[in-house]
Amino acid sequence: MQMAIQGIGLTGGFGSGVESLHAALQSGEIVTQQGQVEHKGKIDTFPAYLASLDGLEEFIPKRALRRIDHCSRMTLLTACLALKDAGMFEAERTRMGVIIASGYGPLKTTFDFLDSYLDFGYACSSPTHFSNSVHNAAAAHVSMQLKTTAPSLTVTQFEMSVPSALLTAQQWLAEGRVDQVLFGAVDEQCDVLRYCRQQFFADGELGPLQPFAFNKQSAVAGEGAVFFVLTRDETAAYSHIDEVKLGNHAVCPVSLAQDELLILGADGHKECGRWYEEAAAGNETAAYTPFYGSFPAAAGFDLAVAALSLRNNRLYTSPESTGPTKLTLAEPRDLNGTPLACLKFGLAGEYGLTRMSP
Amino acid sequence: MTVQAPIAITGLGSLSGAGLNLTESMESLFRGERHPHPPIRFTTDHPVSYLVLELRDGFKLPLDEQEQVYSRTCQLALAAALEALAHAGWNAENLRGKRVGVCVGTTVGCALNCDDFYRAYKGDAKPDLGIMERFLRSNPAAVIARQLKLDGPIQTVVNACSSGTDAIGIGASWLRSGACDIVIAGGADELLRVTYAGFSSLMITDSDPCKPFDVKRKGLNLGEGAGILILESAAIRSEKKAQGYVLGYGSACDAYHLTAPHPDGAGLKQAMHEAFTAADVTPADIAFVNTHGTGTPDNDRVEGRVLNAVLPGVPFLSTKGYTGHTLGAAGGIEAVFSVACLQRGEIPTSIGFADADPEVISTPVIKNTRIAGGIALSESLAFGGNNAVLILGKGDH
Repeated sequence: MQMAIQGIGLTGGFGSGVESLHAALQSGEIVTQQGQVEHKGKIDTFPAYLASLDGLEEFIPKRALRRIDHCSRMTLLTACLALKDAGMFEAERTRMGVIIASGYGPLKTTFDFLDSYLDFGYACSSPTHFSNSVHNAAAAHVSMQLKTTAPSLTVTQFEMSVPSALLTAQQWLAEGRVDQVLFGAVDEQCDVLRYCRQQFFADGELGPLQPFAFNKQSAVAGEGAVFFVLTRDETAAYSHIDEVKLGNHAVCPVSLAQDELLILGADGHKECGRWYEEAAAGNETAAYTPFYGSFPAAAGFDLAVAALSLRNNRLYTSPESTGPTKLTLAEPRDLNGTPLACLKFGLAGEYGLTRMSP
Repeated sequence: MTVQAPIAITGLGSLSGAGLNLTESMESLFRGERHPHPPIRFTTDHPVSYLVLELRDGFKLPLDEQEQVYSRTCQLALAAALEALAHAGWNAENLRGKRVGVCVGTTVGCALNCDDFYRAYKGDAKPDLGIMERFLRSNPAAVIARQLKLDGPIQTVVNACSSGTDAIGIGASWLRSGACDIVIAGGADELLRVTYAGFSSLMITDSDPCKPFDVKRKGLNLGEGAGILILESAAIRSEKKAQGYVLGYGSACDAYHLTAPHPDGAGLKQAMHEAFTAADVTPADIAFVNTHGTGTPDNDRVEGRVLNAVLPGVPFLSTKGYTGHTLGAAGGIEAVFSVACLQRGEIPTSIGFADADPEVISTPVIKNTRIAGGIALSESLAFGGNNAVLILGKGDH
């Protein structure tokens, strides 16, 4: 069953709102921010794609945000932007399901909770941090603030979170469980994650992110959130999602048509790079991760780029196209109704293939 | 939601504080045994010692020593999956080439609750990156798929305490849509110091054995374990007899509070309604209810009132007294127990209950009870306001 994308909301290193992503794609300008963390008295600065929360108070009263953490705030902002983009912010939402994909969940709050008992003893563990550290807290805040009482689902599957959760969105609409799905993806940056990435990848974190340098570690940390309003309608404001296919390339190679135009989720992680090189070598490919960075939920941004491309009938230049693949799109071009597919790989060859059409 | 086709359950696997496999667990339940104790696998400086139900000694992790690279949650999930697959007549070899999905619910299995790592990170010691590497390998659904070399959809559901129930409902829908032919579905969670501290901070844990639905209930006992069902399409199952059926699934969100259920049980009622519609059954068809029944004042009050309103007079029980609250595993374990009870034609006493609470209205069974009929309802309530309901049918045996 086809899903129609009726609205998109996002925040990431490129800014907030669908027009910010569109502007980045048109200009080709890559902007990273400077992340900064303090650890054991030392200041560590590093390139990162960080998300803004500007505009959240337009939708949610400041008072209601008091105990809501950064991860859930990104979620709320982009959920509201997607509803507004779809013209559904004031609509009745009792038949609207909520599905959120997150590779790591609310990291900062998870560690804030550990701080509460490591610093002050177990009797002083923080109930607020604990209840907000549960992975479905962001979905709960969306449901509470936006009064969505239909089914709610949170999926954590590392790199596969987005395609896996999208499969369930498709099922819900096909079965008539809901009339719309507010489908989102979110991941946040935090100091512990920075520490681990630096230990694992050292200078490989410094950028620039080169998605097609499959054998080189060039991932640059990112964070952000993206939401889509999905329906069963035949007409779509952006595009349709035709098929969501999940499997493991190492067990049974992914089946791609030779003329299939692919947006790769390659994000500079060497361990995943080999799968893209192996599976997509014969296809025309693009990758837009240099606009938003490396984090599991970024697979949702790939979907947003595909949706924008299909709506605008324009495939944008793939930035940082240096690397072994010769078929990378180096110039923008009209799509003329050509479908697109987003391909995302996990560490062990797990893949998600999302086929989309105008 | 329209009427859904029944999905056959061909294998069951479960381990928890009640037993290290399904046979042992059912014997324990019907003997009315339980073994809560203070935590053994970890220590805290908390002034109160809350009881838990850990797996008893003798549990052998399913992977040999060189492969002990996954979290305990993943090991529990894998152990239950292997038991269920064997029950269904499957193994890694004869699954090869089949389209097999894995849908597993968890709570702590996906959270970066690595407090040993974090303590070192904050202090003077060098954190052990091996802990982080293990975390990054340890997605429960992905681990099962990887170990069995499966090619199909995988999903780890993190809907807090309804995760296991949701995972089974989602897995059944994959089969109906043709996304795959076999699904390994259920839930798994280990007992951790982090969740122990967290539930203690919410003041909903009991230092005595928990007392679901009792007037003197004070809270839950945490537990750990896994419960997995093998679901098969009609084409794959062929002549194989079903252990049971997933007849319907419903879920809904309270949109009310992060940790407390809606006082009127609005989401639970909605989830029940959806499940009844999907299964094409009425409340009169339900032989028994396996409740969420945590033993917390709020949960049991709301759940009892909803049962009284929607399913008056239907026998119900909580198995949390035997297993403890296993969080994301609970829905999986309870679905397995429900199917096994349908096969036996009886349910065990709802251990821990003695005196009725006028606020709860309904009372669970107080002895092993014969049931009339072949349809059960298993329900889960969760943080975030999630409510999930499964309607399960008796098998062909």
